[in-house]
Amino acid sequence: MKNKYGLLLLSLFFTCISLQAEDISSSLFSDMKQFDTVAAQTKQNEHYQPYIISVFETKELEKLGVSNLKEALMLVPGVDMATDNFNVQTPIFRGSNPSAYGQSKLLVDGVVVNDLFFDAYTQYLFMPIEMIKRIEVIRGPGSQVEGINAYAGSINVVTYAENFKGFASNDKAVLKYGSYDYKMGGFVKSFHIQNLKAHIDMYYQKDDKKIASGPDGLSQGSLGTDNVGLSRSGEVPLWFEEYGLGLSMEYKGLSFKGRIQQHKQGSAYGINLALPQERDRIKLPSYYAQLGYAKKLHDLHIDIKAGIKYDAFDSKAKLGPDNLNLRGIIFLNGAYGEHYAKQRTLYQSTYLQYNGFEKHHITLGYILRQEKTIAMTSKLSDLATGNVALVDYTDTLPFFDKDAGRNIYTFWVEDEYDVNEKISLLYGVNYERTSYKDAGLEPRVSLVYRRDFKNIFKAIYSNSHRNPSWQEMFTKNNNARVGTTSLQPERVTSYELAYIRNFSNSVYLQSNVFYLRNSDQIYNSATDPLYKNTAKTDIYGVEFEYKGHISSKDVLYANYTYLNGGYKLEGNNTNYNLPNVAHHLFKGYYIYDFDSAVSLGSTLKYVGSKKRMSMDPRSDLKAYMTLDTALNYKNSRYGYTLNASVKNIFNADVRYPSPQNTYIDDFKQEGRTFLVTFKKSF
Amino acid sequence: MIRVLFFSLLLFESLFGYSYDDLLLRAQSAIYPKIVVLDKKVSSKLVDDKILFTVVYCKEDHESALFVKQYIQNKYKDGVGKYPISVDLVEFSQLSKETGASALYVLYGSKNDIKKAAEIARQKRVISFSYNLENLKYGLLFAAVIEKTTTLYLNKEYKNIKSIELADFLLQSVKFIDKSAF
Repeated sequence: MKNKYGLLLLSLFFTCISLQAEDISSSLFSDMKQFDTVAAQTKQNEHYQPYIISVFETKELEKLGVSNLKEALMLVPGVDMATDNFNVQTPIFRGSNPSAYGQSKLLVDGVVVNDLFFDAYTQYLFMPIEMIKRIEVIRGPGSQVEGINAYAGSINVVTYAENFKGFASNDKAVLKYGSYDYKMGGFVKSFHIQNLKAHIDMYYQKDDKKIASGPDGLSQGSLGTDNVGLSRSGEVPLWFEEYGLGLSMEYKGLSFKGRIQQHKQGSAYGINLALPQERDRIKLPSYYAQLGYAKKLHDLHIDIKAGIKYDAFDSKAKLGPDNLNLRGIIFLNGAYGEHYAKQRTLYQSTYLQYNGFEKHHITLGYILRQEKTIAMTSKLSDLATGNVALVDYTDTLPFFDKDAGRNIYTFWVEDEYDVNEKISLLYGVNYERTSYKDAGLEPRVSLVYRRDFKNIFKAIYSNSHRNPSWQEMFTKNNNARVGTTSLQPERVTSYELAYIRNFSNSVYLQSNVFYLRNSDQIYNSATDPLYKNTAKTDIYGVEFEYKGHISSKDVLYANYTYLNGGYKLEGNNTNYNLPNVAHHLFKGYYIYDFDSAVSLGSTLKYVGSKKRMSMDPRSDLKAYMTLDTALNYKNSRYGYTLNASVKNIFNADVRYPSPQNTYIDDFKQEGRTFLVTFKKSF
Repeated sequence: MIRVLFFSLLLFESLFGYSYDDLLLRAQSAIYPKIVVLDKKVSSKLVDDKILFTVVYCKEDHESALFVKQYIQNKYKDGVGKYPISVDLVEFSQLSKETGASALYVLYGSKNDIKKAAEIARQKRVISFSYNLENLKYGLLFAAVIEKTTTLYLNKEYKNIKSIELADFLLQSVKFIDKSAF
């Protein structure tokens, strides 16, 4: 009898042990799954993703004195910056059409924020780095957001709204002061009440930047030969003033994301390339609100989103100087203008992901977009008399098509197939129809081969397009830009090979070669302002990106890009040099932590010389190199950080290329500047 | 070009610094204590009836070691399985056979420090976990790595160790790795 009880107890004991082991094992695997999710969403496992991707944690960038999104993007391999006469700045990925906006997409927490008017996102480029948690940049077509197929690259800005269990970030307040009387104040605050998670970020910033430039475009005949003598040089108003307010909420599967970006900037180089007045301005507001619902039903994940976006182009400026002569009419006190076009985008998307197959993760979905101009006004000084008072030309001589509209329907399906432990294959296709010219089918395939932890290989083939922007389709009655709805989308076919060498958990070298075949590239010029699909461009290059350490107290990051190629014009077989593109780009930074409180950081950027368009007689735009340095002090006891930085220490002459027959001496950028940042964490 | 590449690779490999990845530290701190309990012989390794999880580190990594301690103490307030857990921090220079430990979690260290930690774990017949996968080549047993998914690597030497007997399902989930792989 005793033995029986003994056996029973023993068997109970082993049953308990085994049950306990089962509990531990399921909790172990659940932990691992949670970290998989966080790693995938935070791109911690970036090297295993089927893209060429670089991820920047802003905590590190803050130590370098990086102030905003634009400065951070300047560190990305293969990325250069371009601007235009409005000072609408845009990052150029791998030299792909520096004259076009919209070849890259900017997403803020997964919402595409490119505006409709330019298809650009200049109003977000000055977003303070302290509002941003992480920047994920994919080079080449594609994006991490389902159905969004960027052309040359995509940037996902992740704010502190991202909040994983156990990974909460501190709330904080920031104050900054710098050159050109730059002032900034803002805060980030998160709430967590039972199942409700909320996040708010808010900031205000302004500066008073003016940079001596000129002669203006009149010297090149931008307003006709009669006005060449009226050309001036002077201080170009490059100031800006903006506030941003972001709000996001999450309750169980429901989510809300909203943002108000109120951006105003000086009229820069002038709508008609005539030097504007100091307070002439352009407003580029951008607002969005998106509702989402996500649900997991066993192996099926459903994600439904619907949103509304508004953006506008709103300009008030002196368009021509005193005594301007337009077709024989003399404007004694100059010509003024007010241009306003407000756009609305409604969208709805659904995607389904099925993970029920052992080796396949199938995703399919659609996005429906309705884009529309909802308000437009066009006022100018009297064109008939030359009187300075504004006349409403909204109906008679509009600068823009007030009935502009476009519907876009995008469908996609893709399968991530884990062939075996070492090889995974992502293949899929996008299909798009629009109210105008269609992009049609765009297939893509990418293969990731993980030979072992240290060696990862990728091969990517993809196709994408960029739909013409509003200004390329709907501007009219304008000396500088004339749109047409007959434009084809710009198209790209991309071939990429990458090799990633992980030397250790925190040291890697990523290298890749790429070949991009671009067709139907959209250009216009000062002498022919009508936008046309005029060029085919082939671009090839190689990129290296290294991150590591020299000691246990530092971080070293460096990247180098070489790119080259050529373009051909429609109906002409001559191959021209790639214009306005630096063949060599080098960026790097080094941060040394003296202890847990004090660190010193330096950033070096080199942008090679740039050739001109084939018809442009100007000599190459000179290369430049800038060096920045920053001292960072962190007081853990009181939770504040103080950072002082000097940028472009040697006052290098930085210029972005101007198109031919505009500002002949290009668009000069700021020289040496300083910035002081105070940040308090709560 | 190939020569330049080869030289560059050698140069990069020769740089010897490191840093800790926040996510990986958290992942390992969450996972490793559970693996200790999945050793069928864990009851013979308790210290004062507790699992004593000993973090071994270099002096300059004190902050990271402290982070691990706080993370584990916070996550496992009620113990792991039926065992209470406590965390000790020990510098490599202070580590000896007399150091109390039910398991060792070894952060970055010199080759000799890592070898020493691996040897002491062997003598004490406890599991040794590594922050850096590469340090398995010096005899440490376990490393969790965030690859496409979180992957557990187990040193092939485990097969010759009789004092540790891991649960079968765990053995089915790990990747065995040999010194020659590094």
